[in-house]
Amino acid sequence: MDERKIQILMDSLLPLLKAGVAFTIPLSLISFAIGLILAVLTAIVRISSWRIPKLIFRFYVWVIRGTPLLVQLFIIFYGLPAIGITLEPLTAAIIGFSLSVGAYSSEIVRAAIVSIPKGQWEASFSVGMTRSQALRRVILPQATRVSVPPLANTFIGLVKDTSLAASITYMEMFRTSQQIVATTYEPLLLFCEVGVIYLLFCSILSALQNYLERRLARYSAG
Amino acid sequence: MIEILDLHKSFGALEVLRGINVKLEHGKVLVIIGPSGSGKTTLLRCFNLLEVPDRGSIELGGMKLSFTDSKTISQHNVVSFRKKTGMVFQSYNLFPHMTVLGNVMEGQITVQKRSKEDARKRALVLLEKVGLVDKAASYPHQLSGGQQQRVAIARAMAVEPEVLLFDEPTSALDPELVGEVLKVIKQLATEGMTMVIVTHEMKFAADVADTMILMEYGHILEEGTPDDVLKHPKSKRAQQFLNRLSGEED
Repeated sequence: MDERKIQILMDSLLPLLKAGVAFTIPLSLISFAIGLILAVLTAIVRISSWRIPKLIFRFYVWVIRGTPLLVQLFIIFYGLPAIGITLEPLTAAIIGFSLSVGAYSSEIVRAAIVSIPKGQWEASFSVGMTRSQALRRVILPQATRVSVPPLANTFIGLVKDTSLAASITYMEMFRTSQQIVATTYEPLLLFCEVGVIYLLFCSILSALQNYLERRLARYSAG
Repeated sequence: MIEILDLHKSFGALEVLRGINVKLEHGKVLVIIGPSGSGKTTLLRCFNLLEVPDRGSIELGGMKLSFTDSKTISQHNVVSFRKKTGMVFQSYNLFPHMTVLGNVMEGQITVQKRSKEDARKRALVLLEKVGLVDKAASYPHQLSGGQQQRVAIARAMAVEPEVLLFDEPTSALDPELVGEVLKVIKQLATEGMTMVIVTHEMKFAADVADTMILMEYGHILEEGTPDDVLKHPKSKRAQQFLNRLSGEED
């Protein structure tokens, strides 16, 4: 590799990392947090006996899972202005990613809740708890442990998916690399570099997932 | 006092309880025996509305609930009725994510809104009673089945129920662990705890029961003192059932 390429790699590393830390990671974290709340809400409604809300949330999951994320982002950012709703790229991205995480993770949370033995509900009821107390104190804490591995998966997927925000002009890490390519004409070099940084981020998250799983496993023999 | 009148319960087309009447004075122990499928567990689960009866009525601690096909009992009534009961399950059903102490404190804090300090004090007293104070900081999976079941008894007692319900409390235990659990239940009986017990342990049942019910096909076949039911059953089917049991024990 010639010196110029090495220089370009070195020069771009800092701006890329900066974009990653300042935009990609916050976007991921905020979207995941909102998405999780949405997921738990959706899961709770879907195991409840409220018929109309159930229908609404089923519709939501059906639409989000059945359409491409990129299309959703385009509708939110480029489409909504047609009916008078103009959003900042960041806002549009957060809405799009949160809705997506919420829909996918709701199935994870729902499966985790359903996987907790019926005896745990009954034991909670037997000490006088209401359904929501049982859910909060007994079922969800156990379901959390079951859902950590698949939710971590979702989060890692999300970190990579945030690169789609480049297409709605949000200046996250991938769009930053595109800009550097535009001035240096080194697409192979830059896109590989940004790929490696995504890999680095996701590896850190995997390690975090392992740690979390070990911590949560402390009360279980299995 | 507990009074159950003309209780009916069906699961789909299967009629599990066909008009059950039970009366139990405060401080007494009722033992329900019978072949599997006789409806004894369903009856027990009606006492705390884990199964909601189709028809009939239950009165417990001054609260009377009547059941009809047309009207469902409100969630509020179900919960306040349940607060008068405690239950011990065949498979313990301890909360695996809480310590032993946490298990016994949970109902007190979440349901009875006691302070953590008060709940802890009461929990320790109860754990002392079942002989497990030294396990307070352990998690359920670290205990033997017998120990887990004793914790479950302490947990059920913690919310100060008017009646304790036992659903085959020793059926899941290794034979050598049965004794320690029965001992705790016997002690509660001598202290005047009102209890309803479904069990297959006949010797224990005869020992601890004030009243005994023998059920079959959703009916009460025999009712009376353990002596009446076990030694002098009136019906032929009861005799057959008891003969089969004593056959197994020989």
